Amino acid sequence: MSRLLWVEFRRFGARRLVRVTALLALGGIAFGTFIAYTEQFRLASMPDVPLGTAFPLVVIGWLLGASFIGAEWHAGTVTTLLTWEPRRIRVLFAKAIAGVVSVFVITMLLQVVLAASLSLAASLNGSTAGAEGWLSETAAIALRVSALATLAGAIGFAFAAVGRNTAAALGAGFAYVVVIENLVRGLKPEWSAWLFGENAGVFLLGPSNDFPFVDRSQLGAGIYLSLLAATLLAVATLVFRTRDVN
Amino acid sequence: MPAPVPPTGPGRSVCSVGDVIEVLGLRKQYRRFRRARTLAVDGLDLAVPEGGVFGFLGPNGAGKTTTIRCLLGLVRPSAGGCRLLGADAPVGLSSVVGRVGSIVETPLLYPRFSGRRNLELLGAIAGVGPSRVREVLERVGLADRADDQVRTYSLGMRQRLGIGAALLKDPELLILDEPANGLDPAGIVEVRELLRSLGHEGRTVFVSSHILSEVQHTADRVAILSAGRAVAVGPVGEVLRAGRSEALLVRVDDLAAGLRALAEAGIAAATDDGLLRVELPATGAATVTKALADSGQYLFELRPDEADLETVFLELTRGTEEGAR
Repeated sequence: MSRLLWVEFRRFGARRLVRVTALLALGGIAFGTFIAYTEQFRLASMPDVPLGTAFPLVVIGWLLGASFIGAEWHAGTVTTLLTWEPRRIRVLFAKAIAGVVSVFVITMLLQVVLAASLSLAASLNGSTAGAEGWLSETAAIALRVSALATLAGAIGFAFAAVGRNTAAALGAGFAYVVVIENLVRGLKPEWSAWLFGENAGVFLLGPSNDFPFVDRSQLGAGIYLSLLAATLLAVATLVFRTRDVN
Repeated sequence: MPAPVPPTGPGRSVCSVGDVIEVLGLRKQYRRFRRARTLAVDGLDLAVPEGGVFGFLGPNGAGKTTTIRCLLGLVRPSAGGCRLLGADAPVGLSSVVGRVGSIVETPLLYPRFSGRRNLELLGAIAGVGPSRVREVLERVGLADRADDQVRTYSLGMRQRLGIGAALLKDPELLILDEPANGLDPAGIVEVRELLRSLGHEGRTVFVSSHILSEVQHTADRVAILSAGRAVAVGPVGEVLRAGRSEALLVRVDDLAAGLRALAEAGIAAATDDGLLRVELPATGAATVTKALADSGQYLFELRPDEADLETVFLELTRGTEEGAR
């Protein structure tokens, strides 16, 4: 298992999409830092920054997670891999673990780079006044953002594993967020307690009036989202174990 | 039409100790949404003994690739089962997969990774190091292009890379599905020689193909598959002779005079496409020569009447397909 896991980590790191995404994100960080520098960034407002990056990082997590297995199906390399390791559950678990751990590490590193760049901008041409405790507060939020991106990656991975296609997973994700969540909010608002979006909001920001139907703590929302991801991964594993690979 | 070689004898369907591949009553039916079911393999029995090259032949759609996919645990049989190196597929495959190298159809590798990186990643799963990767790349003639992305490779190069991947583990059993697909004539000869040398090294090479000349020159034994069933199994020579009476073909200047001379000598013969077909085994060649010479007929050509694999294959598969219709 450890060999397989190691191979999957190497494969993840060698993917062009991962490198391009990381480069684009670093480009965005450089641009954001430039703006922060010219606008005299205040270090005290740093904890708000990870919240602003949550959406793009969740999308990145979903994309990287889905494409990690989706690209394998598209290229047909799952067949080749299974002729080397026929234990399918191992293969899928190794991929899933490598995918979600890598998404967590990448999103965390990007936030660290962003926070370091902005704090440098604040110290060079901004304000550090009233910023006591910014680091721990920012770190806590950044961890939650990365955890959320990781869960999105796991769910994207599960969708692509079942649909055998990255596009299928991305399409399903888009349809869910844009159509299903909005339909539920409009027609059956009491059901919104079970929506990904609402629970993600509570997980990041804590219970608030913005999410009136979610009667869960921050931890509860995190556990709910984790269970959701775990269930979808279990379904994906079952499907992967039983379906023919042609 | 020659009668099929009964699937018994040396290269048979009855499994025994020492068989590296055993297929028993394998049946695979594909169910497709809103489409008719497809019966890809229909009660196939097959046993492949250890060592040498075993050709697995059949027209497109005969069930060759599905059988190989079942052997490798990629596809679950609808009925029956298979064993590889004594392990049941798919549940026991993990215990023997380190001794099996395979390619299924066109080898599928990461197009944006180099050939070397692809092999290194695969090799790492089985603990195969970079030196073995180098060795294999040289063996399949890809050392010069090893660091180029696979997407820039021709089909033939991908095929060779796939064979390289199959060889990485230094396997005792190789399962190769159409390894000569997409290769130019020189490449086909190279693959043929490679397969032959692998067979001589004591490995078992199970190779599926519809390029019959390739198999006739390479394989020790063959199985011919048609409509999901084995219609002939056995050593190549045995399959070639299947159902044919032994005969000699003779070319003489005057066919009528030749026929008369042979008849006078008590030898049964008939004309066959500008030749005389004499119902005698190859050992009767001297008798024929003497009979003709005694009557003043001198032959230009004398050879055994041997069918090539292509003829036998077409006759056998045509028969089965017509039966299936």
